[in-house]
Amino acid sequence: MKGYVVKRLFYMIPTLFGASILIFFLYSLVPGNFIDADQNLTAERKAELYELHGYNEPVVIRYFIWLKNLLKGDLGYSLQFQLPVGEVIGNYIWSSFIVALASLILTWFIAILVGIVSAIRQYSIWDTFITIIVFAAMATPSFFLGLVIIKIFAVDLGWLPAGGMISTGSNFTGWEYVKDVAEHMILPVLVLTMLGIGGLTRYFRTNMLEVIKQDFMRTARAKGLKERVVIFKHGLRNALLPAITLFSFELPALFGGAIITEQIFNWPGIGAIYMQAFSVRDYPLLMGFTMFIAVLTVLSNLLADILYGIADPRVRVKK
Amino acid sequence: MESSAVTLEKNKKLPRSSSLWRQIARRFLQNKMSLIGLAFLIFIILFSFIGPFFSPYVNLGVDPTNINQSPSAQHWLGTDKLGRDVLTRLMLAGRISLLVGLGAMVMSVVIGGVLGIISGFYRGIVDQIIMRIADVLMTLPGLPLLFIMAAILSEWKVPTEYRIYIVMLMLSIVGWPGLARLVRSQILSLSERQFMQATEALGLRDTRKLFKHLLPNIIPLLIVSGTLSVGGAILSESTLSFFGLGVVPPDASWGNMITSANSLLDFQKRPWLWVPPGLAIFLTVISINLLGDGLRDAIDPNMRRR
Amino acid sequence: MTLKKFVSAVGIIGLSALLVACGGGDSATNTNEQNVAAGQSDGVQKIIVEDAFIPAENPAASPEIAVKRGDTVVVGLQEPGGVFTPYFNTSGYDGNVQSVMFEPLVDINEKGETVAGLAEKWDISQDGLVYTFTLREGLKFDDGTPLTAADIEFTLTLLHDPAYAGNTDITEASIVGGLDYKNGDAASVSGIKVIDERTIEIATDKVNARTLRLLGGSVLKKDYYGNGYVKGNLDYLTPLHQKPIGAGPYRFVAYLPGQEIRYEANEYYYGGAPKAKGFIYKTTVGDAQQFFQTGELDYSALAANQDNFEFLQALGFADINIYTSSAYSYMAFNHEKEVFKDPKVRQAFSLGLDRQTIISTFYQGFAQVANVPVSPTSWAYTADVGSTAYDPEKAKALLEEAGWVLGTDGIREKDGKKLTVYYFTTAGGLGDTLIPIAKENYKEIGIDLQVEQMDFNALLARVDKGDHDLASFSTPMLPDPYNGVESFHTKSTNSTFKGFGNEEIDALIDATVATNDIAERTAAFHELYKALDENPPVIYMGYTKVLSGANARIEGFTPNGYRGIASSLRNLRLAE
Repeated sequence: MKGYVVKRLFYMIPTLFGASILIFFLYSLVPGNFIDADQNLTAERKAELYELHGYNEPVVIRYFIWLKNLLKGDLGYSLQFQLPVGEVIGNYIWSSFIVALASLILTWFIAILVGIVSAIRQYSIWDTFITIIVFAAMATPSFFLGLVIIKIFAVDLGWLPAGGMISTGSNFTGWEYVKDVAEHMILPVLVLTMLGIGGLTRYFRTNMLEVIKQDFMRTARAKGLKERVVIFKHGLRNALLPAITLFSFELPALFGGAIITEQIFNWPGIGAIYMQAFSVRDYPLLMGFTMFIAVLTVLSNLLADILYGIADPRVRVKK
Repeated sequence: MESSAVTLEKNKKLPRSSSLWRQIARRFLQNKMSLIGLAFLIFIILFSFIGPFFSPYVNLGVDPTNINQSPSAQHWLGTDKLGRDVLTRLMLAGRISLLVGLGAMVMSVVIGGVLGIISGFYRGIVDQIIMRIADVLMTLPGLPLLFIMAAILSEWKVPTEYRIYIVMLMLSIVGWPGLARLVRSQILSLSERQFMQATEALGLRDTRKLFKHLLPNIIPLLIVSGTLSVGGAILSESTLSFFGLGVVPPDASWGNMITSANSLLDFQKRPWLWVPPGLAIFLTVISINLLGDGLRDAIDPNMRRR
Repeated sequence: MTLKKFVSAVGIIGLSALLVACGGGDSATNTNEQNVAAGQSDGVQKIIVEDAFIPAENPAASPEIAVKRGDTVVVGLQEPGGVFTPYFNTSGYDGNVQSVMFEPLVDINEKGETVAGLAEKWDISQDGLVYTFTLREGLKFDDGTPLTAADIEFTLTLLHDPAYAGNTDITEASIVGGLDYKNGDAASVSGIKVIDERTIEIATDKVNARTLRLLGGSVLKKDYYGNGYVKGNLDYLTPLHQKPIGAGPYRFVAYLPGQEIRYEANEYYYGGAPKAKGFIYKTTVGDAQQFFQTGELDYSALAANQDNFEFLQALGFADINIYTSSAYSYMAFNHEKEVFKDPKVRQAFSLGLDRQTIISTFYQGFAQVANVPVSPTSWAYTADVGSTAYDPEKAKALLEEAGWVLGTDGIREKDGKKLTVYYFTTAGGLGDTLIPIAKENYKEIGIDLQVEQMDFNALLARVDKGDHDLASFSTPMLPDPYNGVESFHTKSTNSTFKGFGNEEIDALIDATVATNDIAERTAAFHELYKALDENPPVIYMGYTKVLSGANARIEGFTPNGYRGIASSLRNLRLAE
């Protein structure tokens, strides 16, 4: 196992190197740049700014400068914020993270529950009902869902704030602050959960359907075990195995931000900032953030493979 | 042990595959839900492709004197922000949305499925290569890619009405790693089950193992993934227009019909703008799903019994 | 799964396009009670809503959350970049943040005329070259220290620094000795002379009607922003960008990235501290209807149309302000393309497009068709030039004259080339209405219009490369009418108008800034507009209006098309 992990860690180097090349050159091919976007600039000023920002260098040279800085841990300097990229990301990423984490936990909890129940009672009214809800959520664009939720819970009922992370102008500290943030989190978490739950529920339902037909389930029942024990101990465990892969997809997303939901709820997250950086072509910020997510993606894929080996020793042994 | 009987019967008839297919078809036709799904889907397809021929509004363009009208005898589903008949646009939009949604589904399932199976089945160096490529592709940022595609297609003066299909194709080509990884992990865990161990012991050929034993077990996953991707693809089409990769006005798609009703006011005051396309997507997705469930049950006899 | 990932990423973009569409093209109005019911008939369509102020009918309906906030005013703003030093920001939203705490020497009123700001008066010498500013008496920065002519001298010198990387091109003012400082080794800008604490004299090389406002910008405190200044290195300023000291109605308190910027009333402000003690810019994206409705915002500008107007009216607690923007929107021709060399063709493109229907349908009366490159709010505007007429017959005749004859497929041809034009625009907004109508209109006169949508930044890049035939744009706010025409000059570096113009038009454009006298300038502009009507640089589209709502619990919001809400901040107070 140890050798395997070390080998995989070693493989990360060419993967990330490839990713850095792809990321840099893709962004450099995107039409438009930060300086040209300002229509008020005179040509002389533009030329001066090009010089100041080093845009006149060939792409390849710029890539190596970027790479060199990356290796030193320097993600670059955001043009729009006039701050180091790392600092900008740090300013926004944690608020994205708490919402994503809350919704991840909620999503998995509900999806597992619903998936199991739907699978056990396949084609029952309950199963049909859940299926319809899941597909209705899937036929709804996310901005639309956000608007509807705001309309109902914030505007009409007035139960919860329509957006933002803290009450405007408030100076809460300690528990008061936590409570305030929690209150503002509810609606965005709700929307993210609704958006994410559909796919996961379907996967669980299918996996459970698969698993409960396996021989070992029949064996367990034949042994006289209670149905609940059979389902949860034997069934769920095996249905969860392939879910490790699904889970690994979600890890980078914890830090990736949710662009639309953050925008609609005015949540000060990295997703909304990424989109804004795109609209002004703040390439250092865009590339730095993408590279950061790339590292997380590669790491979580590795993690998934390792976890898989731990959870299902047979897979590993065969290797 | 009815199931073993079924298996035995199946095995007996294996050499003559035509009867296997006949069996699948029979089982499929016995499933009421999947027939309903099939009927729905055929209805939606006819509605979109034949329907416009019966509409008096197909060639009529913008009518600024007649905008945002609620449903009436002349306009069964009302008119939109430019005075166009919503029902007619719904039918025309269906042509594009169905092609996009179903096309994306087929491609993502085929590419992701095949690569995942190869990777999980052969393991070793093949697996390593495919998975490392997948790693790199998964780190690929989607947005710049779309911008670049838009620029290239525009430079080549590809007619705007074809761009959406090219884009969907390219997205499937770079978008396979997710499904491939899922399929691969499923295959890995299947390979360790007793029945696969048995095939090993029996010395079955690879193709036989693949097609007769592994594939039927992967199909449920492929079906879920496929049905899930239909709705997403239909909706995402509308957002592609931001890059100039989507459907260009005045052409309609279900996605951009919903997106054009983009405010709380439209939501409240003009439900006829967003309910019909929303319902169309919903019905399409659900009927494909019913169809998928039926197909799965028909192909994999294990699945029908509990 | 991965496709799904793409899809959600893409979804995001779509939304932001939508939000841009909502937030961007502000404009709207409506005065009569019966209201334009969204263009029910041809007659109604042409109604143009007047600029107006409509007081709230039921101020008591204000949500509790707003009332409880007391004398703190909250206004929505897109996420700023966080550079709050004037002249150094790259994001326009930072400019909004700055305008709360920095006031310019020379301000501008709702008609686009210059008025006193921090400078109580200014004199321009007979030859139009020497400017003498006199500051108000007893001016102070918001830390209580005096603001003097030395601070102005420092500000103008800093803008000439070779390391200055901001967007202001001070060299346009042609201050004597400016270039020597910027490019040479002069130790100071020789044309700037501090006469006494309240007086400064600036000598220039060239008469330019725009110099006054270039010189009369915000003032940077010398012993703060200049502390440690060495020519050629401005890095020391970076830590100060989020700790601004200004001389405006409010003082900066705190910046919470992604959430809000807090200010407090500045008791050192020359006009006295505003009665509303607190001011907050809250980060919002696009339309902020729901936040205004729930009381989380006290002021919000919405996309101007009938729907939003009715929405504000129905709230009851909204004071509604409708005003005309100083910008105009247009479709640019690519003048480097052979087809547009002939002015007749350009006229035909304009006449053959039913602009009235497009503007009326989309803005529902909250915009009017443009015919000259300046908004009706400006002193330079004239209604006597150009016509809004849609005249396909005349357009056809003009195309025939230019040699474009009908081909067998209904599309015109000349020398075997089809009249197919590529039109670039952004997705959403006016385009969704314009495209279907324009396609029909142009088909009728034998033009094949191909449409390409892209995001705004890509649009700029493609137009810069000259890939387009037609492209949609809107100008930014135009403080001076000259800003609306300067890019038509052959010397202009704006790539959108490459290939347009001639000596005659250049001379007419130059004439509009060759004097500081408003009457002379007005005459010069009108002459220029006439010439441009014969030789159109663009297809003028519309002058849009801005629709804004203010919670009636706060009085004093009088936004205008030149400064937005900036000039009303000093007057904010709680309603009785």
